[in-house]
Amino acid sequence: MGLLTDPSGDQRGIIWFASLASPLFNASTYFSENALLPGLVKSTFKEDRFALQYFQELQDETQKHESSIPYSWLLAKFRQIGLDSYTHDFTLHSPLNPNDTYYGKNVYGILRAPRASSTEALVLSVPYRPPKSIYPSTLPSIAIQLAFAKFAAKEKYWAKDIIFLITDHEQLGIQAWLEAYHGVTCGNEGTLNHGTLKGRAGAIQAAINLELHSVKIGQIDIKIEGLNGQLPNLDLFNLAGKICIKEGVFHTFKGKTPKYFRDPYKEWLYSFKNMLNMVSTQATGVPNGNHGLFLRFGIQALTLEGFEQGKAGSRSGFLSIGRVIEGIFRSINNLLERFHQSFFFYILPSHDRYISIGLYMPAVCMIAAALIIKACAKWCKMQENHTEIRYIKVVIQFIVMHCIGATVMVFPELVKALNSDVSSTVSYGLPSVLVGSLLIPFLLKSVNHSEGSLNLLCIFGLLELGTALICLSMNNISLGIFCGTISVPFALIAEPTKNRIFKIVQALFWCLIHPLSILFFVVSINTFLMFHQENITEFVFRALDATKQAVIYSIADSMIYGNWLYTVVSTIFIPNWLCFWNVICSDFKRHNVNVAKKNN
Amino acid sequence: MITKKSQKLLKSSHSLIIVCKVSFLLILAALLRYIIMVSKYQNIIANHVEISTPLSSWKRVLEGTFLFSKNINPYEGDLLHETPLALHFYKTVLQFVFKNVNVMFIAFDLGTSVLLYFATKKYAKKFREEHAEIEKFPKEVRDTLPNQDYENKVPLYVLMSVLFNPFSFLGCVGYSTVGIHNFFMSMFIFGMVDSNFLISSLALAICSSVSLYPVILILPLITYFVKVHKSYLQALLTLLSFITFLTLITCYNSNFGKDFSFVRNVYGCILTVPDLQPNIGLFWYFFTEMFDHFRELFIYSFQINATILYLIPLTITFRNRPFVLTVALLFLIGIFKSYPCLSDLGFVLSFLPTFMYLFSYCQQGFVISVILLMTSCLAPVLWHLWIYSASANANFYFGVTLAYAIAQIFLVTDVLFAHTKWEFYLKHGKDIKIDGEDTKLSLE
Repeated sequence: MGLLTDPSGDQRGIIWFASLASPLFNASTYFSENALLPGLVKSTFKEDRFALQYFQELQDETQKHESSIPYSWLLAKFRQIGLDSYTHDFTLHSPLNPNDTYYGKNVYGILRAPRASSTEALVLSVPYRPPKSIYPSTLPSIAIQLAFAKFAAKEKYWAKDIIFLITDHEQLGIQAWLEAYHGVTCGNEGTLNHGTLKGRAGAIQAAINLELHSVKIGQIDIKIEGLNGQLPNLDLFNLAGKICIKEGVFHTFKGKTPKYFRDPYKEWLYSFKNMLNMVSTQATGVPNGNHGLFLRFGIQALTLEGFEQGKAGSRSGFLSIGRVIEGIFRSINNLLERFHQSFFFYILPSHDRYISIGLYMPAVCMIAAALIIKACAKWCKMQENHTEIRYIKVVIQFIVMHCIGATVMVFPELVKALNSDVSSTVSYGLPSVLVGSLLIPFLLKSVNHSEGSLNLLCIFGLLELGTALICLSMNNISLGIFCGTISVPFALIAEPTKNRIFKIVQALFWCLIHPLSILFFVVSINTFLMFHQENITEFVFRALDATKQAVIYSIADSMIYGNWLYTVVSTIFIPNWLCFWNVICSDFKRHNVNVAKKNN
Repeated sequence: MITKKSQKLLKSSHSLIIVCKVSFLLILAALLRYIIMVSKYQNIIANHVEISTPLSSWKRVLEGTFLFSKNINPYEGDLLHETPLALHFYKTVLQFVFKNVNVMFIAFDLGTSVLLYFATKKYAKKFREEHAEIEKFPKEVRDTLPNQDYENKVPLYVLMSVLFNPFSFLGCVGYSTVGIHNFFMSMFIFGMVDSNFLISSLALAICSSVSLYPVILILPLITYFVKVHKSYLQALLTLLSFITFLTLITCYNSNFGKDFSFVRNVYGCILTVPDLQPNIGLFWYFFTEMFDHFRELFIYSFQINATILYLIPLTITFRNRPFVLTVALLFLIGIFKSYPCLSDLGFVLSFLPTFMYLFSYCQQGFVISVILLMTSCLAPVLWHLWIYSASANANFYFGVTLAYAIAQIFLVTDVLFAHTKWEFYLKHGKDIKIDGEDTKLSLE
């Protein structure tokens, strides 16, 4: 029983996970796919003058279009270069307000490969941002994209079509284009109308998304985190890094370069901070660039974001950037099969080291195993004590909790079906449903009158949480670790108790880890980092408002992009939370134990 | 007089309560199934490989009936793996009895549950009567003997576990034809327990003709008639009628000897496993990875493992308990057959309540249920990552199905060992001393 009564697996798991950041425990990255042959050829891109010229023309052109894409100019340029060029219209019926409709237009040109039929394709995409946009401009990347298209059009070695894509409205544009390209709808029906494409190439093997904010680039940041925490193949990431080094472009991951310390602790701390940076981005499940939406279609993609200010002394111009793109595309052009060799599941503590799934999964398994061992111990104890258990009632209770979760899940859709404004209804309706569900243990007083039943409910909760954590971390390790680290220690001490003080303490702790409270804390930390001079009340109101916005955005994301964070939280984590809440807060009589004692 | 009358009244009211309970459960189960069937989730569930294998996919049946109606032999391609009899049966039943495919699948599932309810009711009664003379058994084990409570609860629990266990539920909702095969399987069990050799042999012949593996269950069936119903004549008749029915069905299938093309597509498919579409069984991964010249050897060894390897030893060990033997064989078929699906496990799991008296002897129940829970949640997740996201690969999915098979093997071993232990204790009592020292039974 030593193992069974000692549920400290979660601490071990967390320590394991944290220590993985140290270079002692992880490995340096390497190329697994030999066909890539990175940087083997001599770069011949010389069209940097054209890029500058395009850039100046484009700047003039955008002044004429305050908030829309200058598609006629772009189309004309594509045609001039000799690409099959098309536009693509899409419509968004706002998921939050049925009466709002937005329109958008993408422009794309296809360079047909001279050495193969159009069975495979590569994508070079750039988000177009009008002068009014709140995000930094990406005009230099369109200029370099056009210059690269001009360069590529005259080369004879392309074995895959190259699609040059300029998208409108940030991620909406790319989502609509991808849905139209593959003929599917990922979000809810009738939300994003993806329209049709007039021209098409083959199966897309890889995509590079460019976001250069300046003509002179100080550093390039490689971004990989995609929708629902999906990551591109590690080979593609390595490839981008390798080519950047070759062309002498300073590149970073999460704005950091690897540093070497003599002190192993400092070294670990530096990598650990970097790793946490990636974990926090991945855990949200929201892509941090347009590349993130490609991944769902099995297309490996990443974003190269170029900043003017860099830590390196010198800056690279269009020539080097063009050669980076050339190098990457010529490498991917060599691919004989789709990316399959290297890792798809990894965490990066710096851009030259990785932690593979084989290393981090034991950490998650230890955390989940702590829950399951605890459940097993409880079960064994129940078998010994012969307490009275009402199995069917417990099962029904468990199902009722999940029905509440399902209600929360369909709530926004219901509201939308009733034709009222989702954002305002949800921001009042959802909290009231959740607060109402807190009263369940007090309403169900008559049901839970034995300790055994409550223990059984607790076992169900523990098992569900353990299984959910493992399934979650297969998809999105960061979210799995995040949820595990927060909820498992509290789930392990959750116990039906007669002791009033212990009960209140438990209930308080348990309230702190309600999915909404966690969201509130995360958002407040974020708000604090952004506006830390404000006074307390203003800060709290701002944080509350931001939390509301976060919930509504996650609902919108699930309806438009098929982001499953909201679904998972509402169907699994909220019911599970309620289960434990019930266990903690319910009253019970102890008569069964007494009866057992008398018999003995 | 009054007491007798009141007793009678009590009894009738008692049975009325049971009827109410059963019908409530049936209605609830039907309702739940129907709600999921008409929702958008039906399509998702039906397309999962855990539910629709090449042998149990309703889509393929529809395709087959369509081809038949156009006078095209569906067995010329390699799409359809159901027998002509099954195909005609589905078509006729759907057209003339149920009209609606949802209703048909629900009805067969409810039929299975009701048949098993009556079968286990009979079995439990007989089983209790066998152990009615408590004085014959050692004191320590008396409280594990089946009593009146056992007899009352078992059939209801069996009914509930057919209706509400998630494996059968998903199979039914996903239109797995194994659900319909299971109806005939439960008819076989009913006939066997009810000592009706005609029904049992007919049902077994149907099952064997459809999915081949149940043919080995003829051995426990004969054993049942010999050992439990104590009638050699009936046993002989069972065997004869089984052979006759099987011949008749084959005659019908082959259009009276004219067309044997179904044999290659049905039995050939089951035995030689040409379709390596992943499923929750153990065949596909092994035969995808293997060099072709070993294929024949391993086909033989895998199929022997699935059929006769355990048949003889288990029959010898459990010759006095043919019911246990039947359940064990059903379990083993479900694990080792070439195209298993969730309904197979769901069906055998519903027999577990009949082993209620063994629960205190089972050691791994909790571990097994955790593994089953984990694997059945992980399988669709990894399938999604493998097929749709293209990020995981076949090894991940196979790992999960392997764990799933291992859990089932643990389960059947645990139950069988507990049964052996229980019988041993009934005979010798719990305090066994070897050379004057306390001993403990353990499986090695």
